[in-house]
Parts: sequence; structure tokens; C-alpha cells
Amino acid sequence: MSTTSGSSGLKRREFLKVLGATGAAAGTVGCSSDSVERLIPYLNHPDQTVPGVSNYYATTCRECAAGCGVIAEVRDGRAIKLEGNPAHPLNQGAICSKGQAALQGLYNPDRFRGPMMREGERLVPITWDRALQELNTRLDQAGPALANGVFINQHESGSFPVVLDQWLATRGIPGHLSYDADLNLGTIAAHRQAYGVAWPTIDFTQARLIVSVGADFLDDWGAAVPQQLNFADARAQLQNAPRFVYVGPRRSLTGLNADQWIPCRPGSELAIMQALGGTGTASIAQAAEAAGVEPTLLQGLADELRGAGRSMILAGTRGADAMEVALAAAALNQALGNVGVTILPGSPATAFERAASYADVRGVVEQMASGQVPVFFVRGANPAFTTPPALGFAAAMARVPFKVSFSSYPDETTLLCDLILPDHHALESWGDAQPVPGLIGLQQPTMDPVFNTRPTADLLLLLTGGGALSAAPLAISGATSPGVEVPGAAALGSQVVPAPAPGAVTTTPREHLYRDWLIGRIPGGAAALTSALQTGLIAGNVGQSAAAVRPAPAPVAALPAIAQTEGDFFFHIYPSPLLGTGSGANKPWLQELADPVSKIAWQTWIEIHPTRAWDMGIDNGDLVTITTGTGSVTAPAYLYLGIHPDTVAMPLGRGHTAYGRYAAGIGVNPLIAVPAAEDAQSGGLAYSVTKCRVTKTGGFDDLVTTEGSARQHGRGIAQAMTVAELMAPVTDDHGHDIPGVPSYEPLPGLRSPVAADAQGELADPDSKDKGMYDPQHWSKMASRRWAMTIDLARCTGCSACVTACYAENNIPTVGAPWQGRATSPLTWDERPGANIVKGREMTWIRIERYFEGGEDYGSNFDTRFAPMLCQHCGNAPCEPVCPVYATYHSPDGLNVQVYNRCVGTRYCSNNCPYKVRYFNWFGYGEPNRRQYAFPEPLNWQLNPDVTVRGKGVMEKCTFCVQRIREAEHRAVAEGRLVEADEFTTACAQACPSRAIVFGDAADATWSVAQLATDRRAYHVFGDLSTYTAVVYLKSIIHPGPATPVQA
Amino acid sequence: MTRRRKWAAVPGLAVIAVIATLLSAYSGAQTAQQAGAAQQAGAAQQAGAAPAPLPTVDEVRASIDTVAERGPWAYSGASSPQGYAPEQPINFPHPVHVQGAGMNCLYCHFSANKAPDPGLPAVATCMGCHSIVATGSPEIQKLTQYWSDSLPIPWVRIHKVPDYVQFPHQRHVNGGVSCQTCHGEVQEMPRVFQYASLNMGWCVNCHVERQVRYDCSTCHY
Repeated sequence: MSTTSGSSGLKRREFLKVLGATGAAAGTVGCSSDSVERLIPYLNHPDQTVPGVSNYYATTCRECAAGCGVIAEVRDGRAIKLEGNPAHPLNQGAICSKGQAALQGLYNPDRFRGPMMREGERLVPITWDRALQELNTRLDQAGPALANGVFINQHESGSFPVVLDQWLATRGIPGHLSYDADLNLGTIAAHRQAYGVAWPTIDFTQARLIVSVGADFLDDWGAAVPQQLNFADARAQLQNAPRFVYVGPRRSLTGLNADQWIPCRPGSELAIMQALGGTGTASIAQAAEAAGVEPTLLQGLADELRGAGRSMILAGTRGADAMEVALAAAALNQALGNVGVTILPGSPATAFERAASYADVRGVVEQMASGQVPVFFVRGANPAFTTPPALGFAAAMARVPFKVSFSSYPDETTLLCDLILPDHHALESWGDAQPVPGLIGLQQPTMDPVFNTRPTADLLLLLTGGGALSAAPLAISGATSPGVEVPGAAALGSQVVPAPAPGAVTTTPREHLYRDWLIGRIPGGAAALTSALQTGLIAGNVGQSAAAVRPAPAPVAALPAIAQTEGDFFFHIYPSPLLGTGSGANKPWLQELADPVSKIAWQTWIEIHPTRAWDMGIDNGDLVTITTGTGSVTAPAYLYLGIHPDTVAMPLGRGHTAYGRYAAGIGVNPLIAVPAAEDAQSGGLAYSVTKCRVTKTGGFDDLVTTEGSARQHGRGIAQAMTVAELMAPVTDDHGHDIPGVPSYEPLPGLRSPVAADAQGELADPDSKDKGMYDPQHWSKMASRRWAMTIDLARCTGCSACVTACYAENNIPTVGAPWQGRATSPLTWDERPGANIVKGREMTWIRIERYFEGGEDYGSNFDTRFAPMLCQHCGNAPCEPVCPVYATYHSPDGLNVQVYNRCVGTRYCSNNCPYKVRYFNWFGYGEPNRRQYAFPEPLNWQLNPDVTVRGKGVMEKCTFCVQRIREAEHRAVAEGRLVEADEFTTACAQACPSRAIVFGDAADATWSVAQLATDRRAYHVFGDLSTYTAVVYLKSIIHPGPATPVQA
Repeated sequence: MTRRRKWAAVPGLAVIAVIATLLSAYSGAQTAQQAGAAQQAGAAQQAGAAPAPLPTVDEVRASIDTVAERGPWAYSGASSPQGYAPEQPINFPHPVHVQGAGMNCLYCHFSANKAPDPGLPAVATCMGCHSIVATGSPEIQKLTQYWSDSLPIPWVRIHKVPDYVQFPHQRHVNGGVSCQTCHGEVQEMPRVFQYASLNMGWCVNCHVERQVRYDCSTCHY
């Protein structure tokens, strides 16, 4: 009708066009049009790679000593994801958060770019030739004094320690110290004395009663992933599952998984152990007095233990009597006949053999402080941070004239060194590990090096002329063929491709001295290695180093028992389940991941019992100072029900002064307030050795918590049932027969009556046209219903699924100090975790942790974990409120978020009952923004299959739609349909409890379809008629004879 | 009172908007002319080698109605660089290779039928022939220079869908969509230009016609 004769005559649509044009004109001015994009081809195309298609390399995880097998997904030359290796005997396809985060160590933006040398106060970059020359010159100068040289290496199994000791011997340096501050040395020493092995296999499935005295087998006690797999299997026996009693000053993640908690004061564990065993002098009453607990609880446990039959007692305390407690536990296991039944020394884990003790490190410190040490080497370990400052490691190091670091990161120890020869990351280098006797896990480079680093093993071989060390190789014994298939290879999305054949690697002309050295050890040589790399496993044993053991350091005078120290609270510190004793702190995924217990991230907190805190006028977030005879630390208080009222606790891992942008200045280090004490018998560092005074400092700091409420308020999010309920006959009492009220039970195959009718019968009773939502529609889009089951009886709350999701789906971390909002035009909120304080974390899947019971602030409370992610509702509340149709229900059952349609009204998030939608408040994915979450080269890890979201866009769990599409592409290419359980989501793949199962609920051949009809199945908020695709299976509670716990 | 004042600015803003519209339409036409000129220059160079009548950039542009339809103001992603024909570092003639030498698309774009990414030939692939064939040509000497300097050829990208679109080549190639459906008669283009708009409506039309899945999450995730 009207035309563009004047502005008054503009139609609405034309007006929009005009608005668009002004925007476009502004855009044209803003960005120059000559920014053409380039397509850069290869010079030579590498074999075995197809652009845009992943290769998978089996290798070994070196993030902790255990040595799990991982499969690295490599796309176009870059490792983008780590998954567990299904063929590996330890982790059987599972992987923990720390293992996932190895990628952020590989791509850490603060890694050394190349070798560095100290000139005055500064470290300056030098060439490798110059660095090696300097090393040789300084070692030659030191001459015979090298007999006092020191090499501290991270604790690892495999051939490298052997090579290292051989090299040290050529220089006259004594054997290296293999140090890992995370190890539970008291338990290891006790195991060795009682069972003859460092770590027996612990079979939870055989036990009827598990008693853990401070042994956090789901956190850091032993090899967490295999133990968690086995524990979850035990709990999945439901009515036959073992009851689990945890004794300790604080409910750790392991403690929260217990059916019953007996709180005790730190230092009273030995008395409890003796009372339980009826050995020693302590009676039940005395032990209860020392522990500060009701004697009836201990008596009940002692009675239960006697009547339980198969049981296990695990001890993992960190006091000055750690080994004695563990020995008492071993004696009790012997007496109860558990050895060989639930405790299996016959099939040990070998990862902890030959670990150096803290006492060895203390001996080195004394030696260095006396000025005897001419040269100090460190690789991987960070003793300047993980030992108490009271020990004076840094000061002693300053007395050493020449200090060399092979570490890749600027940690506290390395920054004190004179020469830095950065090592490759484990994902860039060759190696091997010995996870169990008779089997060697291989480690191969998954990609070319990110920086100008060089593998230490290559350097050592180079320094000796390449041949000197291989003169006496320790042949790997045993057959060459591991004889194991990779059953899950298809589930991983593609076939496991072997590494390029040794000798055929031509892309970079680097020497592969260590690889060739390894080949020389393997019967069958290069061909055997190539075939073994298919699974990453080879039968055999790596020999032990023959190097002389360093002389034991002189014993130190024992400190007074903790109960005799000054103070009004016991001071208990513990390694963080995510950051360990600090090695994880430079990885933003681990900093951002909420602690499984406290749900706090990017912060160190002080745990204090609510009753004691309120007496002192302390509430959550109030700054509290802990003062001991050694020092004082200040941190916000976290009122925690799961701590003995006479105790305050702090996690280790944060409080770095160096170690890169994600670690330095975040949190506080509780070791500042701990005297340098050790367990005289095992030589382990003793953490719980002193009482402290607790004072309210007077300030306040917001807790960086991802938690809304610790209580379910009757909402039934994480449900549980008793064994009696499980065994009762099924009754049909769904209550959906109220006249006029539609059923909220989904249709078969978890289909929603609403979605199935999206365009049809309800709206127009005569219409039979359901469009593409009709399973018979030509597109066959609606023939599937993607769904998930989460077994809460298995879930331990470890949060590995969360990190896996971050890795798979390019989720930004938002808590770094520079990512906060502007508080005024030129000032920024630079508190770590400032965005999380405002509830702006981006975790597509989160672990909700709820307490049940304990309203009297007593110890009798139960904990429920529930992974919460988009429920992909069949009748989603988010969908109808979107004004731009950016979210809709796809015919195959996904609740889809279309980023390019989204305009950021956030109506969907407001309307979501599960609160699983996350909004990009800042341009976390945009490199030119202050809040950019992937500084180079962290962005190399981004998954090319998933869009990196921009500012102002809503995002949420997609059920890993990229994996669904990839499986569909593969099936079409092979002329078939997607097979049952052919692939799975990232969270389900990682889960070390095997709690998550994903698949097509409309096809009964998929596991998920069977699990969704389980007796224990329920939908969260099912009464809202959301028809969710996520089905939870109730956990089973096992209250003891004397512990009534509500369901 | 204040409300009235605020609205008084609307006609002024509208005038600015109209001016900006006209300016950008003018500059768009200019760019089109330049590109067309460059295209014709390229065609002139290859005049001897291309017997078949080639669709020029102008013809393609003319085929999409009017400038107004193509302009940046059509807001739903319709600001397509259709017809974009940048100069490449080496003037690679597809006709010579496809029609002259009889090479298949997949010889160089080797993964178009098995991967989301169609594949770009490695420099070594070019040198496989051109260490012998036509070594005297100035364009081939550019190629040999790149090869001897161990440098990749910095091709200018022409076809691109936004980052939030997943386009798996193998599904299309194996599903019977010819390369030419989206890329045009590349075998007859002395200089490659963007043949189709690659806009979403264009994608969806084809998906509907061919009765394949076309809901959002088919491509957007």
C-alpha cells in the first residue's frame, strides 16, 4: 500500500530493515572489510588423519600416581578431550576430574615457552643448546661434590625413574627422591608392613560392612577411580549392599557417602581403633571420651563389626600416629578374617611402590640448609609449596648454588631455580607406567608439542651421548601380546588408531631418543610397540631402579600429642579432592568445579560446626582467623554440619603465590599455620598435629558457593528408599485417577502426551496431523526419544561428569579474578569467583548435595547427591515463554537451544523449574573481551563440533547432540541404523560410578529403556507434568541397628 | 512533555537511517562492480582455456532479483556475500584441471565424502604433478616457490557458514547432492566465486524439497 515516500509511510517491516541498515552501516565502519579469512592447507598431509574427524590415541594419565589409561581424542592435530580407556584394568573406561583437566595443563597459558636461565633476579629465555651447555658446565664444575646432589621427581611408576637413576649415577649423584605430597604415606607404610605390598586391592563388593577411619577412598586415599568403580558396584547391589560407617573428625566426600558418621576429634582415632579391636589399653568409654562422642555409638559399631561377617576396616588418618592407626586397622582386618576376602594383597596396585617420604624431603632440606648440596634438581614436584613453610624449604634452597627445574609450570619451587629446562606434557611425550603387576600402561605423544619444550628423558639420554644409558636396559619381561580388545572403541566414536609407526614420524624432525630406548626394552621391538599402542597396554614388568637408597634422615623430636597442644579447637587440614595438595590449582576447570562437599569454588574456607560458630557470633562468610603456635590464617567461615564441634577444618590446594594466573593469589594456604611435624614411623607429613585458637576477624567475604539450599524442603529432588520399601510388593498408587486431572506419567518410551500431540489432537480433535512429531512422519525424526537415567545408588557426588561436560561442550569458566563485572566505569569486581557469587556459573550439569536429618545439629544426618542437568522435558516450561522460538522440542526428544535465534530475554531460565539454563552475561567466548575464558592456547582445546557461545545468549545441556549427530552420520555412512548403546554422552562416559546411562528410551534394546522402567525410577518434579527425559533411580539407605535415618 | 521531546528525535533518526541505507546500497553496488570487473579480468586471462559460456559474477548477481533483495538490510542473515570472488594467491584454474585433465573433485577435496570437512589439497598434492607438468608457467612458479620455502598457500576462503552452523559435507555428498548444487559449476569457473547465498532459507528449501530433517537442531548446536 504505502511505499517509502516518507518516514511517516514506513511499514513496520521496512522500519526494521532501516534499523538493520543503520546497524550494518555502523558495523561496516567498525570492522574493516579486508579481514579475509584464509584457508591454510598442509604442506604434506599426515597419514591417518581426515580433516574434521577425530583420531583416538591410547595413553596414560599422569595427573596422579595411579596411572589410569586414557584415550585422547585428537582433532586436526590437537588433543581436545580425554576419556577413560575401557581396556585398562584400573579405570575400565572411567576418568576423574583431575584426569580430564590434564588438557588444561597441556594448554596452560602460563607454561614455560622454552628454556629459561636466571640472570640476577630475572629469568630470561635462552636456547636449548645454551641451556644444555650451561647444565654440563655447572655439573662439571661441581665435580665430586655431586655426591651430595639432590633430584626430587614427581612420584611416577614406569621406566623413567630407572633412566633417571642411571643418568644420576653417571654423574655420581645419588638416586632421586620420588615425591608426591598427595600420597597417604602412613597407610602405605602400614600396608607394606602388614601385607607386604604398598596397596592391596580393596574389594568393596565382598563386604557386608565398611568401616573407614579417615580413609577417604573416594577423594585421595589410594587410587580413587578404581576404588570408586568398585564401591559403586558394591552400592548397586541394593539390598545386599554393604553398610558403610565413617569415623573421622570431618565428613569428607567419602564420609558423606557413608550411611553413618561417628564424629571424633583428630588424634583420637588410635584409641577408637584399639577399643574396636579390644586390643591395647583403651576401652570403649575411654576412646569415646577422647573422641568426644557418645560411647553407645562406638559400642554399636564394635558390636556390628563382630556380627557383620565379611567386613573391612580402612584407616587413612593424617596425624603423627597415622601409621599406627593403619597398623591397628590391618590387625583388625587380620583378626576378622578380612584379608584375602575384602582386602586382597595378592593383587596389589603398584603405583605407590618406591615413593619417597616427607622425612626424606626434610632430610634434603637439612642437607641443603647446611650448604652441602651443590646442585638441586626438581621435576614435577613442588615441595616449596606442599611442605609447611615452617620447614623452611625455600630458605634452604637458597643455599644451593645451582638449582635446575624440569617443570613445565612457573610453580613456587621452579621460580627459585637458576635453570629451567621445561619438560613436555605427558600428552606430548613417550613413557610407560606400571599400574598393576604384569601389565605396563604405555604413554605416547598425542600431538606435537605446544611450546618449545623437550622431554626430560630425551635430554638425559642426549647428555650421556644417547648410548650410555641403554647399555644396561632392563628387558620388559612377559609375553608381547596383551591379548585385550578395546570393547568400548566404537562407543568412543571411532576406531582407536595406533600412533604413527615408530620411525615413520616425519612431521617434526625431533629426536626420539627415549622412544627408541623404550623400544629397545620391548621384546619384539617397534612392531610390538605399534601393536600394543592399540590398547595402550603391554604385558610385562618395568624393573625397579637399582640405585642406592638415600640414607634415612635423622629422626626429629616428636611434638606433643594434639590433645596436649594449646587452643580451643582441633585444627584439621586435608587435601582437596579436586586440587590435591595444590597441583590442580592452575587449571580453571578444577578451580571452577565446586568442592563436592562444601560446594565452594575459587576460595579457601574454614569449616566450623554451626552450634560452635553461632556461640561465637560467626555466620557463613564471616572472616575467621585461625591462630596456632606456628602462624595464623584468615578465611571466610563455612558452617558445616559434618564436622566435629571441637574441630575446625581447612582444605589444602589453594593459596599459591605463583603457579600461573589461575592459581596465584587465589585462596589461602593452611600449611602456614601448621608446624613441620611428621609421623615418625612412616615419615609422612602430619597435618593434624595442633589445636588452634579461632577468632572472628570482623570482616565478611561472600562464599563463592554454587549452592542454593542444603535442604530439599520436601521437594523430592534426590529421593531414597529403604531396603524394606524396595522389597515390598509393587502397588499401583500413582494417584492419576483424579477426574479431570491428566496423568503425569509419560507414555511408553518416555514420550510426552503433549509433545506427541504438539500439532494435533488436543488443539484440534479432528486432526490427525502431528507433523514431524508423528513417529510415522516421513522424516522419521520422532522415532527416537533420547533419554538418560541416573542411578543415585551409584552416584558418589565426585563431580567427574561436570568436568567432562566442560571439556566436551566448550563451557567457559567464569570465576577468574579478571572475569568479574564492572562496578563503576573503570573499576572491576576482581574477587575470585565474583560471577559465581552472583549465581552466574555456567555448569551445564551440576551435582546438588542435600542433607537429610540432622535438624538438631547432631551427627546423624544423611546426604543425597543428585546430578542436575537439563531434563529435556517433553512438555518444557521454557519453550512456550521464548518470544523468538530459540528453544523448542525436537522430534527426537531434545529440548534444543538455538544460539543464533536467542536474543537473551532469559524468560526461559526464569520459567525452568530445574534451574539448568545458563546465561552468557559476558563475552566469555570472544577473544577481545576482558572476560574471555580461553586465553591462548587454552582455546586449542575447544571442541570444533560445538558452537562457542557469545555474549547475551542462553545455553544449557544439549544431551551432547554433537555426539548424537556424529553417531547418526557414522551409521548413515555405514548404511545402518544407530545401534543400541553405540555411543554415550561425555558425562556418562567419564562417570567413575557408572551412574549415568544415556540412550534411546523408545527402543527397548537400549540399556536406558530398561533402566527407565526400574522399580526405583522417578522423575524430578514429575507432578509438574514436564515429562522429563532424565529418570533418576532412588538411592538405597542402610540405617544401622541403632541409627534411625529418615528416607 | 519529556515524552514528546523524546519522540521528536524519531524523524531525525529516521533521516539518518535513510541516508545510511542509501550509502550502504551505493557502496554495495560499487563493491559488486569492482568484483565484477575483477572477475572479467580473470576471465580474460583464461580466455583461451574456457570454451564454454561461463556465468559471470554479474549474471549470478542478476539472477538474485535486485540489489535491494541482496542488501545488508535484509536482516535475517540475508547479507550474503553471494558472488564474492576474491583474488587468490595463485590463480588456480578449476576448468583446466577438471575439464582439461579430467580430475575428479575428490582427488583434491579428498574428504568431502567421508568427513564434515571437505579437505583442502596439501601443497605436496599439487607438486605431485607440477614438479613435472607446466613448470614454466608463472603461476606454477609461484607454487614451486611456496613449496621450496616450505610455506602453505594462503588461499582466501570463499564459502563459509557461520560458526553456529554444522555442515557435514559427507552427509550431503553421499546423499546425492552434487558439489555443483551448492558450489556452482566450479569446473567452469576460471576464478571461483560464491555461487549460492548459503542463507538459511536456501538451506531449508532444499531440505524440505528432499524430505530430509530440517528442524533447528539438525544444523544448529
